[in-house]
Amino acid sequence: MKAHEQRGRRWGLAHLRAADLGRVWLHASPSVRARVAAELELPLLDSLEALPSAADTVVVAGGGAFIDRAKRFRQGARPGLRLIAIPTIWGSGAEVSPIAVLNGEGGKEIHVGEDLIPDHYVAWPELARSVPPARLRHACGDVWAHALEAFTSPLATDTIRRNAAELIDEMAAFELGYDPRWFEAGAAACLLQARSSVGLVHGFAHVLEAPLAAAQPSAGWGHARLCSTFLLPVLAFNRNRSPKVETLAAEYGLDVSRVELLAHALFDAADYGAAMPLAAERWGDIARDRCSRTNCNVVRRDSLEFFQRFSPSPVTA
Amino acid sequence: MDNREKLRDLLTDVLLLADEEFSLDLKREDVETWDSLAVVAIAAGVEETFGYHFTPEEAVAATGVRDIIATLERKGISFEGA
Repeated sequence: MKAHEQRGRRWGLAHLRAADLGRVWLHASPSVRARVAAELELPLLDSLEALPSAADTVVVAGGGAFIDRAKRFRQGARPGLRLIAIPTIWGSGAEVSPIAVLNGEGGKEIHVGEDLIPDHYVAWPELARSVPPARLRHACGDVWAHALEAFTSPLATDTIRRNAAELIDEMAAFELGYDPRWFEAGAAACLLQARSSVGLVHGFAHVLEAPLAAAQPSAGWGHARLCSTFLLPVLAFNRNRSPKVETLAAEYGLDVSRVELLAHALFDAADYGAAMPLAAERWGDIARDRCSRTNCNVVRRDSLEFFQRFSPSPVTA
Repeated sequence: MDNREKLRDLLTDVLLLADEEFSLDLKREDVETWDSLAVVAIAAGVEETFGYHFTPEEAVAATGVRDIIATLERKGISFEGA
């Protein structure tokens, strides 16, 4: 079996403790650093660049961006290194994905490769308990965006659509908050979108994330929050543009009105109002974004008008 | 708006062209933005605009504007005069 075929397998904490990892170091995000270091009793790194050349393994604990940086580091600088990811929150699916999204000087850099997939990921859902409720909710929006955009992707196969429909149906029963089941759902949704594509929700998120965070550093803008914000408007846009969403939903037994209710629950009108002026200013970049270009309906120059006029219809169920 | 105008609007949006850059003789090799993502977006846009779903083979085989028109005309969508 080739090395990459073994990648991305799930471990419990017991597996991690029992495994022979050779010379191993830990790199953890500040929010979980003390706890993870105490629990695993591994030497801590301040930065990946400080990883000794003799290292066989690095264990990385953090959110999606933190894990993506480690994936790219391994791909570029240390191809032989074993990488074990411990996600502290669900949503990005970075722990299983062959994609790494980094903030570059010119905006989001998207890297793709089987060698980006961590060798193992460790399920440690208790770590998410320390995450503020609003961030947990936004992370749910991130998972929803992955699953829904994979389902409607023009690149999705019948199998992907069937799996995505089943996942969406399952996720509709989850609370929009702490629930360990989101970790598995997030990983599954990420794999589905990696094998098809995402769409305009991610086009908005990729273009707006960095400038919003720079303009309002204390507001807590991030990818997941933008996915939550634009899920409902983009769903409305796609339903308005063509019957594609309805047709696919009918074909795969998906209840669109149930999905819309969840998108309503994730929608925050104040966030939408705060993000739209920049979205209007950067519309050309949003329409050109590679994710927008694989939206289920074509994103056109005049599509901005729809979003400027968007107002959620009252929830009726 | 006739079908020629609808197709022009679709392709200028998908291929990020100025109106004056569009012509019926445009070929994939002449347009930098006519990449694999554009092939997918054109197929999605054709379905949205003309109600015809390109097969993957048709989408890949359409190497110019006239190929798209020819495929659609075979399905009874008229581009008279194009």
